[in-house]
Amino acid sequence: MKSAEPWPENAALYQQLKEDQILLSDNAASLAVQAFLQMCNLPVRVVCRANAEYMSPSGKVPFIHVGNQVVSELGPIVQFVKAKGHSLSDGLDEVQKAEMKAYMELVNNMLLTAELYLQWCDDVTVEEITHPRYGSPYPWPLNRILSYQKQWEIRRKMKAIGWAGKSLEQVLEDVDQCCQALSQRLGTQPYFFNKQPTELDALVFGHLFTILTTQLITDELSEKVKNYGNLTAFCRRIEQQYFEGHDKDSSATASARCAKRSLLR
Amino acid sequence: PSAADRNAQACFLNCCLTLACANQIIFCNLLQAYAKFAGAPLIVNTINNSWSSPKADVPVLISEDIVISQPAKILNFLRKQRYNADYELSAKQGADTLAYIALLEEKLLPALLHTFWVEAENYCSVTKPWFASRIPFPLSLYLPGKMSREALNRILLTRGGPPLYSLTEVEAQIYRDAKECLNLLSKRLGTSQFFFGNTPTTLDAFVFGFLAPVYKVCFPRVQLQEHLKELTNLCRFCDDILTCYFKLTVTDG
Repeated sequence: MKSAEPWPENAALYQQLKEDQILLSDNAASLAVQAFLQMCNLPVRVVCRANAEYMSPSGKVPFIHVGNQVVSELGPIVQFVKAKGHSLSDGLDEVQKAEMKAYMELVNNMLLTAELYLQWCDDVTVEEITHPRYGSPYPWPLNRILSYQKQWEIRRKMKAIGWAGKSLEQVLEDVDQCCQALSQRLGTQPYFFNKQPTELDALVFGHLFTILTTQLITDELSEKVKNYGNLTAFCRRIEQQYFEGHDKDSSATASARCAKRSLLR
Repeated sequence: PSAADRNAQACFLNCCLTLACANQIIFCNLLQAYAKFAGAPLIVNTINNSWSSPKADVPVLISEDIVISQPAKILNFLRKQRYNADYELSAKQGADTLAYIALLEEKLLPALLHTFWVEAENYCSVTKPWFASRIPFPLSLYLPGKMSREALNRILLTRGGPPLYSLTEVEAQIYRDAKECLNLLSKRLGTSQFFFGNTPTTLDAFVFGFLAPVYKVCFPRVQLQEHLKELTNLCRFCDDILTCYFKLTVTDG
């Protein structure tokens, strides 16, 4: 399907401030979209704004501004890019597409929810990392009000889906189950659907890379991912292929927290 | 309602357990163990009282804590109890099971919740009377309402929010997602008898558990059921399981 208009030069991706503000889950989401666009060979500039969340049409980051359209979150962005004539999953048959969608839901269902839990429901992390970061661009008392409001909202959601009663150990166990499933599915292939990356690879990369390179209170979360060698190799491969040698401000090589760690040691 | 309909209205989780231990019909022990695992006194009572326990018809709420949000946990539990339907599965197929269960929970569950507990006609004429008749007074006075509110709450918290601003828009979206999910399941099943070949596995149990209520329960508002009936392989899948495995449990019930 030929696109109506070509991809503009000044396409921009908006997220929160990289160094001080952005949280684990948002960074993962942003990285996933960046990886997806890189895989489609669609250039995009990363723009960091403190109010990115409020600018977004759905309230979630990242969002892209392409021409005169604004689209947020990976799912809608994949659809939008497809409408413009670019797709990574056209070569898949129906059964594979179903599988791809199922695995994407697995990542959202388990990994993303675990990240949100850790950020907003684990008291130590909330006090020491989340609250200071989330409201950092704003003066007191706005910074505290905004982060408490967000925390309340996330905790309500966790309660509704039955995660509020979980302990941190149980959440980490879920992360382990999810990583095990991803590792088993990936096997020894370079990408989830063998030779070519798809949006699933972008999503998994976004989350796993962020978990591996973000410094939290403890290393428990990243250790869960490191247990699976093929997953860390997968992240390294995508980092090298799609992010190395690009603009050194790209989120992949300068992610979250204070210590910047690359997977290449 | 006929025996088949009553069975279809029976606990979908029981279906999961049934399939997993189709060869070993030790329901009482398994269900009591399951009830302990669930940790809710209400469930223990109703299991002791009747086979078609209310949580059956509420697969979407009570069972949630046990099944949907922690599918891996129930799988581990079943395996520890040596009820394992997945011996033949490869590691990749085990991973696929987890992924498809996540798909069911994210895409199909909100619409199921809505059909049973939020859609006013369905709730008032089918769900509430059925549910209330199976739990003791005075719980029957307030529990159905509470579950209905919790269902709506869950739908709005997980799927509401911009750019969907009204309940109607959210409803439209969740039914679209549910129909897409059914289409994906149908494509994945193809012409096979079960999802992983010729023997049923945990995934078959989960899918059956989600689909059977939609397929068999006679609701006034049935847009999801109509869509499901168009996917003949999924209907055939449900019918096969009902005839093969539920005749077994009726005699033991």
